[in-house]
Amino acid sequence: MSQRVTRAQIPLEDITITPGSACQGCGAALGARLAFKALGPNTIRHGIPCCPDSVTATPRASGVFEGGGAMLTGTWHGLKAIGRTDVQVVGFFGDGGTYDIGFQGLSAAAERNENIWVITKDNEAYMNTGNQRSSATPMYARTSTTPVGTLVKGKQERKKNIPMIFAAHRVPYIATASVGYPEDLIAKINYGKTVHGFKMLIIQTPCPVGWRYDPAKTIEIARLSVQSGIWPLYEIIDGEKFKLNYKPKELKPVTEYLKPQARFRHMTDDEMAQIQEEASRNWAKLLKADETGQVII
Amino acid sequence: MSYEVMVGNKATATGVKLARVQVASAFPVTPQTTITEYLSEMVANGELDAEFVNVEGELSSQVVVQAASRVGARTFVCTSGPGQLYMHHPMHQTSQNRLPVVMAVVHRGNKGMQPDHTDLMSQMWTGWLQLYCEHNQELLDTCLMAYKVAEDERVRLPLAFGYDGYVLSYTAEPVEIPAQEEVDKWLPPNKPMPSILPDEVDPSTFGRGWGGGDPQDAWRFHHEAMLGAADVIKEANASYERTFGRGYGNGLIEEYRCEGAEAAMVAMGSMVGTARTAVDRLWEDGKKVGLVKLKCFLPFPEEDFQRIGSTVKAMGMIDRNVCLGHGGAGFRMLRHSLYDLEDRPKVLQFFAGLGGKEVRVDHVVKMGEKTLEAARGEKASSLVEWSG
Repeated sequence: MSQRVTRAQIPLEDITITPGSACQGCGAALGARLAFKALGPNTIRHGIPCCPDSVTATPRASGVFEGGGAMLTGTWHGLKAIGRTDVQVVGFFGDGGTYDIGFQGLSAAAERNENIWVITKDNEAYMNTGNQRSSATPMYARTSTTPVGTLVKGKQERKKNIPMIFAAHRVPYIATASVGYPEDLIAKINYGKTVHGFKMLIIQTPCPVGWRYDPAKTIEIARLSVQSGIWPLYEIIDGEKFKLNYKPKELKPVTEYLKPQARFRHMTDDEMAQIQEEASRNWAKLLKADETGQVII
Repeated sequence: MSYEVMVGNKATATGVKLARVQVASAFPVTPQTTITEYLSEMVANGELDAEFVNVEGELSSQVVVQAASRVGARTFVCTSGPGQLYMHHPMHQTSQNRLPVVMAVVHRGNKGMQPDHTDLMSQMWTGWLQLYCEHNQELLDTCLMAYKVAEDERVRLPLAFGYDGYVLSYTAEPVEIPAQEEVDKWLPPNKPMPSILPDEVDPSTFGRGWGGGDPQDAWRFHHEAMLGAADVIKEANASYERTFGRGYGNGLIEEYRCEGAEAAMVAMGSMVGTARTAVDRLWEDGKKVGLVKLKCFLPFPEEDFQRIGSTVKAMGMIDRNVCLGHGGAGFRMLRHSLYDLEDRPKVLQFFAGLGGKEVRVDHVVKMGEKTLEAARGEKASSLVEWSG
């Protein structure tokens, strides 16, 4: 499991080249900045279409959208073939490239336990093309393909539970993280660097443009998501050992997270209550898993 | 040097082994499947020191070798029919990144399991060099030549060589296997250019890839490299012939009894063997019909066809493919090549062997006779014929 990191221990050196193509308040750009600080320069990063197209001072090759898992696989085997296993192979993908179009190849790479890093910046919709729904979009969120109409208001389906799906592949390491908790994020990268095999970090990265909130509030929103139990921070080893990394005495109500975001503005009290009920139920399950140290899916 | 009676897929796998491929990846699809099995066995027995990545689909197999080639490894991938179509998207990326990946395509048509050239012909716009092989010995030899060409500094392009499924993939023929030391001397290891390793990479390449300049340049340079590869293919073929005693025409085409011919047939793939016998029979009957084996489809050997086209009065292209609504790919390219000749021959289109339909010597004899009639000025009943 990851070891505690203090703010002073976060590396000063940046591997990302700012500003990239990010908007003001971009959570994903911050996610990249933090993750690559910890990964360091001996890295090949592969990019597939995603938002923003973060730029890092590491070599990369562009890949096809659906090919993230295979791209990392081929790079790792190529490095093995030429005797350069010291180089880290990292994919920095969006939720589309992880949850949806890239899912098949990533699932296969996980099953083969390739020695690669998959870091996902989950901004909960296809932001690169202008905020269309993905399977990472939460229930009731308004996107440009789940609009608020007279008959249907927002997305009608739940968010795919991708961390647990990959945990079920029994990969050596999978963790969730948030840009609101940089020490935790860095600690998880640090731990993953010691692990041989498939490593995955899903970072929730709020998007002010798509989620429709004041760009100054990115960290606040990210923290509320964790504090209300919507995006719990945890890590799983070998698909079995479980640890909840952030445990407040009491969760904040989900309304504190939902209400500042205009993508949820149309929600009724009943719908809010439903989200609260699900978050509370999930939280109880995670607490139990944390107590026993065993994953409960 | 040794001999073995082997099926086409084993000849390919043996070529891969002799080329000392470092990373291979594939997804099993009939009739390519046994290549993946031969390679798995070779790796499991330590005969081939390679990473063989068993992926979950053809798209991933193409991406795996693309990424491994980018790092600098020598790579191999193989597929058939539907698998070929499934990997179309990343094939563009492989060629755009100028990666010397070599791929074997064991032809399988789209309207059934039997062979025709639809699979590889459908990739005409992906920027890969395309060779079509006639027999098992040619598979092994072409596999080695493929790396020589693809990795050449003047080329740096992916290359696909195709051969008819079942007809070659599962049919055994005697194959001469060159000695490993000889191959090693002839085919030095691949060199990545430029390096992507963090400590060797040129930092100016960081960032977002192609940027600035003329956006058409990416296409222009790629196209020019494709055209320029023709000379390198000829060179590789000649050098292979000097070293191992076998060559295939000039590497692009192979002429058979074209001297003094009034008309010439053009065929591709395993059908060439049938056509050779047909041409022999035609000459026996005093009918002077030659044969051109079209091996290199991309880049298309325009100059060779212009030379031959100016010595005959008619040419008959036998296509084992059809671009629906357009016609045979070979026919279109052939007639296009001949257009600039002042005194150009008539060009007839024959479709044969599509969907795996059997092509017999008699069929090709008839096509030859019809082409000869056209050469002698007789009006052809039709310019297009579905044979058999």
